[in-house]
Amino acid sequence: MGENLPRVPGGAQLHSDTLHGPVRTLRVKMVILGSSGVGKSSLALRFVRDEFKNPSPTVGCAYLTRVVHLSDVTLRFEIWDTAGQEKYHSVTPLYYRGAHAALVVYDISKRETFVRAQVWLKELEKQYIPGSTVMCLVGNKGDLDQERQISVQEGQALASDRSLFFTETSVLSGDQISELLLGIAHRVYECIGGQQGGLSEWKETPLIDLHHRDTFTPFASCCKVGP
Amino acid sequence: MSQRTERRGIHVDQSDLLCKKGCGYYGNAAWQGLCSKCWREEYQRVRQKQIQDDWALAEKLQREEEAAYASSHGVQTQSHAQSTPPHPGHASLGPFSKFEEKKTNEKTRKVTTVKKFFSPSSRSAPKKETQEGKTTSPSISRHASFETDQVSRDFVDFLKNLQKPGREIHKQCRAFIVNMSSKKDLSAEELSECVQDFYQGMADRLMSHFKGSSDSVEQVMDQVEKYIMTRLYKSVFCPETTDDEKKDLATQNRIRALHWVTIQMLCVSMDEEIPEVSENVVKAITDIIEMDSKRVPRDKLACITRCSKHIFSAIRITKNEPASADDFLPALIYIVLKANPPRLQSNIQYITRFCNPSRLMTGEDGYYFTNLCCAAAFIEKLDAQSLNLSPEEFERYMSGQASPRLNSSEGDWAQTGSALSVTATNPVLAQLNHNLELLSGLSSKQEKLMEAAQSLQADLLSWPESVEREVHDILEKYPLEILSCTVSAIDANNVDNDNLPPPLTPQVFAG
Repeated sequence: MGENLPRVPGGAQLHSDTLHGPVRTLRVKMVILGSSGVGKSSLALRFVRDEFKNPSPTVGCAYLTRVVHLSDVTLRFEIWDTAGQEKYHSVTPLYYRGAHAALVVYDISKRETFVRAQVWLKELEKQYIPGSTVMCLVGNKGDLDQERQISVQEGQALASDRSLFFTETSVLSGDQISELLLGIAHRVYECIGGQQGGLSEWKETPLIDLHHRDTFTPFASCCKVGP
Repeated sequence: MSQRTERRGIHVDQSDLLCKKGCGYYGNAAWQGLCSKCWREEYQRVRQKQIQDDWALAEKLQREEEAAYASSHGVQTQSHAQSTPPHPGHASLGPFSKFEEKKTNEKTRKVTTVKKFFSPSSRSAPKKETQEGKTTSPSISRHASFETDQVSRDFVDFLKNLQKPGREIHKQCRAFIVNMSSKKDLSAEELSECVQDFYQGMADRLMSHFKGSSDSVEQVMDQVEKYIMTRLYKSVFCPETTDDEKKDLATQNRIRALHWVTIQMLCVSMDEEIPEVSENVVKAITDIIEMDSKRVPRDKLACITRCSKHIFSAIRITKNEPASADDFLPALIYIVLKANPPRLQSNIQYITRFCNPSRLMTGEDGYYFTNLCCAAAFIEKLDAQSLNLSPEEFERYMSGQASPRLNSSEGDWAQTGSALSVTATNPVLAQLNHNLELLSGLSSKQEKLMEAAQSLQADLLSWPESVEREVHDILEKYPLEILSCTVSAIDANNVDNDNLPPPLTPQVFAG
């Protein structure tokens, strides 16, 4: 729980200070896909749990935000959880429209979730515009090693086939969670942050104006990412 | 003859068919009884007037703004006139004042030039004229609805704080609105493009003006959106060029046909028997219905967000843990099915077309809006499989031959068990049964009461009879005998009279 977040070779660090330095804050839309029960929402909760300032006390964990400070920029992740039930599969493309990062999650102890993950990946590739979305394959429930049905190699092979970022995590123990987030942050910034208008700036307006808080700077907007 | 007319049921006088303008051509109900030519003329006239009125209003606002500008900058003189707030009645002006205004404007211009030679401050001159101009124009509030007026006023008030750029923004906005009102024949997509281009252009200009302070840009853009969309709402919401209306009707009918879908079929984790939960459900339904009444895309989004928050609370109370998307989407679908929000498709289309697109792609509002789109799409495609029903069952429910609620009473279908549990767990049905019981109890009580009342009535009716009879009986039994009255001496009845010594009689004594 309260583990110290590791320093990452990139020289960046996840930390909880809320002071706005001179660095820019960019908005990143991250979608989490996967069958129901693989721990999508728990993963999202994990991402934000150790952040000191949690904007909304968890009424729901379908939409969460998390600020990640890199060395020269701050990324504000907006984490979109999606409904994983198979019957909603046909409507999910609406969710990942315009996403900067997509996490496809499966449960290492359940083969069918891995199969479903491959379906998600295929679906994503249809919508994929090179350089606009960072995709990532996540094998969750790493703590259930005894019941493992998908080996690390298998997951890794699927990911490298499609040159995706791959990791195995455990939401239960918090293993690899911060590394995953930082990894995504770096990749997103490298791939998209450099593009003109790739990421839009986030400016925190005073908290009094609750309604405006989640609105967005209109200048570097729209439709430049995603289909 | 007359019978035949009656059978047809329609009798139209020839004169009713003719154009109301009396031009001799036939009119049409769709054109308010005018012929095509007259209608076009009338329409053009009305539209022209609308445009003129818009201009007049815009000019008025502009002048008010200038006045405000001058008053905040006019350091030299005329402090007596500054504090006049914009008169509420001035917000919109009829065509008469427009003419008046044109004259005033000309005058203003002239006077300004003349004054320039004399006045050391060129700023104070137009201000004075503005004040004069104000008094000359009659304050007639006309076509604009109260809401539109209010929004225009708010917009001007807001822009006043921005001073010079504020005027620039206002000029552009009103030019844009006038421009848009002449483009009614464009398709919805083209309209959307126009508005989006305008947003983009405005934002870019603001960005360069405010030197990157995105806070201010955002605030201004919000106001601009509010102003423009309130003014354009009627012409761009569900425009005739699209089939939005048809889709609305289709969705509405679809949701109506799905009235039998229960919370269990959708696997929603909300327990409506908990009072707090059902309260939140009701609030969520109210919010999603309220969406249709808002004009500004952002306000509509706010309704969706409020609705979603209520759903989250409901799930949270039921499950006692934060709701995930796996719970949320089915719950939202359930709410949409229960609410059948008016003009759902039109509203979604409108928001998509005219909201700042970045707000839809990212941010919390965007997330909930996306979910609503998903819910609408899901309802359209909903089939037996998505409700865990067999196709036959689904068909039967859809065609109205069966209802999952009736199953329990008929008892001959395979799903009776689940249907029974539906009846048992559905709080509405439970309430209904409870009420029915109460009602039957009441009616039996009432019957008893009626019986008692009737017997009382009978008693009351028979009581005088019986009393009479009794009286009669008694009277018969003891007939009234009037004994003959015998006059007797006072001591006639004295029994002991005999024993008494004879009365003393006077005796004459010889002596």
